[in-house]
Parts: sequence; C-alpha cells; structure tokens
Amino acid sequence: MKKLWLVLIALLLATGLSLAQNGVKKIRPAPQNYGKVVLNRYSEAARLAPVIYDHWLHRAKYTCRLCHVDLGFAMAANQTDIRAADNLNGNYCGSCHNGKSSFEGQKIFAACEAKTPPQDTATKQRCVRCHAQGQGVTPQNDFAAFTEKFHRVRFGNGVDWMQTESAGLVKLIDRLDGVSAKGKPFLNPVDSTIAPHTNGMPDIVFSHDKHAVWNGCELCHPDLFPSVEKNKAHSYSMNEIFDGKYCGACHGKVSFPMIECQKCHSKPVTP
Amino acid sequence: MSTPSQPNQNPAMHLPPGLSPFKALFFGALLCLLQATQAGDFWDLPPAPPPDEYGNLLIDRTSSKSAVKPVAFSHWIHRRKFTCRVCHYELEFNMKQNTTEITEAGNRSGKFCGTSGCHDGKVVFGHDTANCEQCHNGNRGYQKERFSELSKLPKARFGNQVDWGKALSRGLLSPVKYLALKPDPNVSFKAILLLESEWTGIPPAVFPHRPHTWQLDCSNCHPDLFNIKKKTTQHFSMQANLNGEFCGVCHSHVAFPMADCKRCHPEMDN
Repeated sequence: MKKLWLVLIALLLATGLSLAQNGVKKIRPAPQNYGKVVLNRYSEAARLAPVIYDHWLHRAKYTCRLCHVDLGFAMAANQTDIRAADNLNGNYCGSCHNGKSSFEGQKIFAACEAKTPPQDTATKQRCVRCHAQGQGVTPQNDFAAFTEKFHRVRFGNGVDWMQTESAGLVKLIDRLDGVSAKGKPFLNPVDSTIAPHTNGMPDIVFSHDKHAVWNGCELCHPDLFPSVEKNKAHSYSMNEIFDGKYCGACHGKVSFPMIECQKCHSKPVTP
Repeated sequence: MSTPSQPNQNPAMHLPPGLSPFKALFFGALLCLLQATQAGDFWDLPPAPPPDEYGNLLIDRTSSKSAVKPVAFSHWIHRRKFTCRVCHYELEFNMKQNTTEITEAGNRSGKFCGTSGCHDGKVVFGHDTANCEQCHNGNRGYQKERFSELSKLPKARFGNQVDWGKALSRGLLSPVKYLALKPDPNVSFKAILLLESEWTGIPPAVFPHRPHTWQLDCSNCHPDLFNIKKKTTQHFSMQANLNGEFCGVCHSHVAFPMADCKRCHPEMDN
C-alpha cells in the first residue's frame, strides 16, 4: 500500500519536473570549468572515481586535431571506448601519458599502469590524479595562474585562445611521432561568407585559416561538414548548431560559446 | 496504513487489491484538490510588492553564513542607468537570485558588482569597509526615498508603476548599453510575433522584438528560454510563465508583471 502511494507521488512529481524543462535559463560554467569533461564510461564500475579532463590545460599545449583526429577521441564525452588497457598499450591518453614522453623537458606522468583497478592505497592515490571527480584533489596547474598572461575575452574560459596562439603565448604541438601522418599541411581555402536564413541577421564570415590552426581539415571534413563541393551549399540551421551539430560540435562546449552573435555574424548585410 | 488490507467487498468498484474504498475516496479527493489548486494557479498571480520594492532583491548566497547582512539590490535604481544586457550578459549575472558566484574577492578584483565603471570605488562606492551597509543592509526597501526620482517617468498600472518601455522610447532615460562589448549595430531583428493563446476567447499575445532588443542581447533569451524553432517551443504556457519560466524569467520579477494582461494580449479588456 505504501509503495502504491509512493509510486503515485513519484509520478506526480515526475510530470511536474518534465514540464519544467523548458524556458529556464541555464547557468553558465565558471571560466575554469568551461570545457571540463567528466568521463565515466568504465570508471565507477571499476570502483574508481570518474576522470576529470580539462580542455584548457591540454589545448594550451596541443591542437584539437592531434587528439580528436590522430588519437581518435570522439567529440562527445563518454563516446570513446577508453579502457585502462588502451592507455597501457599507448593509445588514447596513453599516447602521451606513458611515463616516457616529455613536454618542455618535463616527463609526462603515465596514465593507467595496470589493467585492473589497484587495491593498495598508495597506487589508488596515483589514480586520483585523473580519476579525480569528488576526490578533493588540488590540480597541479592552477587555472588562474596558468592563464594569467593569456589574452582575455569575456565568455567561455575567459581566454582568447586564437589571439593567445597567434601572439605566440602558447605553442601548439600538432603532430606526434609515430602516431601522426607526416607530410606538408594543405593550403587553407579562403574565408567563406554564409548568408543566414533569418532576415535581420548579419552574414556569417567563416575563416578557414583561423580554424585550421587547431583543427586541420580532417576534424571537420567530411564528418561535420560533408559539403566541401563548391556551389553545393549544404543547409544547416542555428537550431541544429544549438543542438550540438555542425559548429555546435565545438562551439558552446570547448571553443567560444554561442553567446556573442556578432563573433560569427560579423558582416553587415548587403542591402 | 498499518491495518492489513481488506478483501475487496464490492466487486463492482474494481479497486486494485489493497486499496479500500475509503482510501480510494480519499485519494480521489486529493487528486481533485491538486487539480483545483492547479487550475486556481492560472489566475493566482504572484503577490505584488509595493511599487518601490518591485524588482528589489535580497541576495544571500553566502552573506548570512559569513555573518554579514544579505545584500539589498534594487533593479529600479540600476535599470535607469544600465540596460539589462550590461549586467545579465556582459557581467554574467544569472537570472536567478543567489545562483551567481559573487564573492568579496571577485568584487574587489573588478568582477560582478566591482567591475570597472561600476562599484569600483571610483565611479561609485566600492567594496570597502566604509560602505558595507550600502549593500549589506538586509533591507529590501533600502533607499525607498529615492523612488520619487522616478515620478516624472510615464506611468503604468503595475510593477514599479513606471512604463519603462515608454520612458526609453521617449528618451526620458538613456541607460548605458554596454561597458566593453558593444552590441552589433547590424543585428536589426525586428520581427513581431503573434502567439495564439491556449484558450479560446483569449486574444493572442503580441511579441515585438524591438523593445526587448533595446534592453537585452539575443543570447539572454535564445536558445535557453526560447529555442528559435518556429512553433516548437514546448510547454510554453501561461502556467509556465507564472512559474517563472519563459517570459516569467523577467516579467513578474523585474519587467512589468503578468497582471498587466493587456500589455501582451492587447485585445484584452484588462
């Protein structure tokens, strides 16, 4: 009897909550949390805390392309099938976090060291460096100190990554020996101007140059944007972008959020 | 609930096992009561504070815990000088009380209230000991006496009893539109939308973009509050508005309240 009542009350509550999902303003993440990804595909099942991955720390050292093309990381959290064994075999995180590679003369700590979760506390302590969710770990790099000298913007991480890179404040590694294909990068096509569907919105100026620094060609083509054929414009809408497709695969998650319309809608409409 | 369940005495009622007629009746009555309160809510507008307290907030995310009085914030004092956009877009104040991580250290280092050009100690008093009581006074009606400064502005029936829209369009107020991030002059979205109401007999609501874009940035409303898909905004009902969603994020809190039916449903009598 008690159960029946509980179920009915739960049902009533659930209906109420489902009605409340729209029309509410989302709360923006703090600058240090923008681009933070929590990975929990296997962690908790293996009695380890979920992994916290900060984009800001990694993107200050490597291009997006390196991880999302060459290393095969998917573009949404928990979609990549990363297991301890993969890292151990030098894939995914283990491509760099192998205990041998170094960055700017500093040895990069090894990711998972064993295929099975460790039993002793000492090793567990080492695991929480990545498996950090809810563990109260103080990260080695403090966001504010790390980004102090970078060019500033208002939103996202509060860092103008493009300016910071072009001013030489960060030097990005784009290729990894033994992993990335060798060869000369392609020449970038020119900027494109895209006319929006809606009257009253300025045209969008898309710079291939600015994107290619971080993404090369292959991060976007042909998966995200299949229409590379000239004069064969594929129509995509702001709605789809807000839903995480096309530009929304990165913008709004890691690259600058879609808050400042004029950052993309930057060309006066031709009368 | 402790009594053992009775065998079903009246087979005609088809009650589930364990549910006695008395309990069924009680539960039915409870459901009816719930329905009644929901229906009543449609017309149960939020309580109207006095005009000089409309849009005033007491912010107390950490103040009381840190043994200082909650912060009194008055929208009508600030909105005369700045558009909503300045604080809720550029300075990233959330739309809900006590959800923005405003800290003393942040204010002192030029964030939120302490942004340069605002409460930075130069333009207006800053976050220093001499001025604690100016904000941390726990008094929702703080600086009531200054409300008379609004007496020359066009009148409205509800809220602050000031027609802020008219005051702007007549040039009686010229709030600052931005601090550092200039709104794009090329975005000229002027569409006027007509929204059929849920009930027959209630004339449609008219939504003009212009008076909203004077005050706000596109991203203040899109896509969180209103996705931009045509006719697909789910659950956009008067009830949701009254619950503080959609239009109700601002209207009934700071912007004119929903008691002013006519301002959205122009063909209504009220």
